Amino acid sequence: MPLPSSHPSFEAQLDAYLDGELAATDARELEAHLAQCADCTRFRDGRVALRAAIAAEVPVFQTSDVLRQRVRTALRTSARKSRFNLQAWWRPLALAASFVIVALGGWNLALQRAAGAALADDVLSSHIRSLMPGHLTDVVSSDQHTVKPWFNGKLDYSPPVHDFAVQGFPIIWMDARSPCSRTAGASTSSTCSSGLGRAARAARPTFATARAITCGTGLRRTTPTGSCRTWGAQS
Amino acid sequence: MLESNELARFEAAMLPHLDAAYTLARYLTRNDHDAEDVVQDACVRALKYFDTFRGEQVTSARAWLLTIVRNTAYSWHKGHRNDELTTEFDETEHSPLGGAADPEAKETLSRALERLAPEFREVIVLRELQGLSYKEISDVAGVPVGTVMSRLSRARTHLQRALRKED
Repeated sequence: MPLPSSHPSFEAQLDAYLDGELAATDARELEAHLAQCADCTRFRDGRVALRAAIAAEVPVFQTSDVLRQRVRTALRTSARKSRFNLQAWWRPLALAASFVIVALGGWNLALQRAAGAALADDVLSSHIRSLMPGHLTDVVSSDQHTVKPWFNGKLDYSPPVHDFAVQGFPIIWMDARSPCSRTAGASTSSTCSSGLGRAARAARPTFATARAITCGTGLRRTTPTGSCRTWGAQS
Repeated sequence: MLESNELARFEAAMLPHLDAAYTLARYLTRNDHDAEDVVQDACVRALKYFDTFRGEQVTSARAWLLTIVRNTAYSWHKGHRNDELTTEFDETEHSPLGGAADPEAKETLSRALERLAPEFREVIVLRELQGLSYKEISDVAGVPVGTVMSRLSRARTHLQRALRKED
């Protein structure tokens, strides 16, 4: 029995009231309204009768023993299957594998950084060493039996050492009193040591000495007008 | 993953609601045989997702099981589109009172309920037969409480109309 349109949403409100779902304040308002409205009271009575009819006539079904047993059997089968289900073990395994990959990647990155830092330190210390006064050359010799042992422990292989003295280019060397490093003027000595030797030391510290020696022997030959040539003339 | 004590916990929590599950399935499918299949499927599904229920615990065990039963019943109907039953089921979705009533047949409340569209039928079953709260019905049907309220009211009005025809 629908209510007149002057009672919008009253039906749902009253159903909620009968269902015990209406807030206490709303319920009091509604009861006050019911007390003075015959239409709404009639509507409520119809709903109360319907509820009683449903309770009396509409059956609640019981699960048969057969169905109950069927369900139990199906549950057991399903539980047994899922115990061997791949999903059960591949997820934690995948998680563990991803942790291992991340850890390895991080470790590798840390190692690379450490190696980079070590190289930078090496270059810097070698450069500082080359700037020290009276330290233009590490080994004053072109003899391979003198030069090679110097590399022991500094390189993991033995570099070839050519003695150009045999071809008529003996090593030219000066000690601290020489004009090159002390008096012969800024232009020549600085060209020789910093222009080539230091550049080589800074860039590849382990080969710095080898280059410095080459400067004294080979380079003079290959670049007659170069710095070493000038340096040699002054000596 | 599923140890035998997990299965025991599931049975202890869910099997007491098997009658409620079967009743809802029976009214949604309107057929004994389908209802039994739906209940069995739903229980197996529920066991599979039992850990999500225990993780949330926002709703009662009964409402949780009935949610799965309801969804299973709906997908059951979708999976059997060619059924005559389903065709009728679809037709009824368009008006609260589905299917043309046979004027000669004596209308009973049960029949009137079975001819309601499923979204109206289920709220009546859940409220009147199983006593779920509006909040629980809203969880089971996946609609807001306000929608539960208006659906219940409309469903009751239609049932009253159907009963008056009987007289």
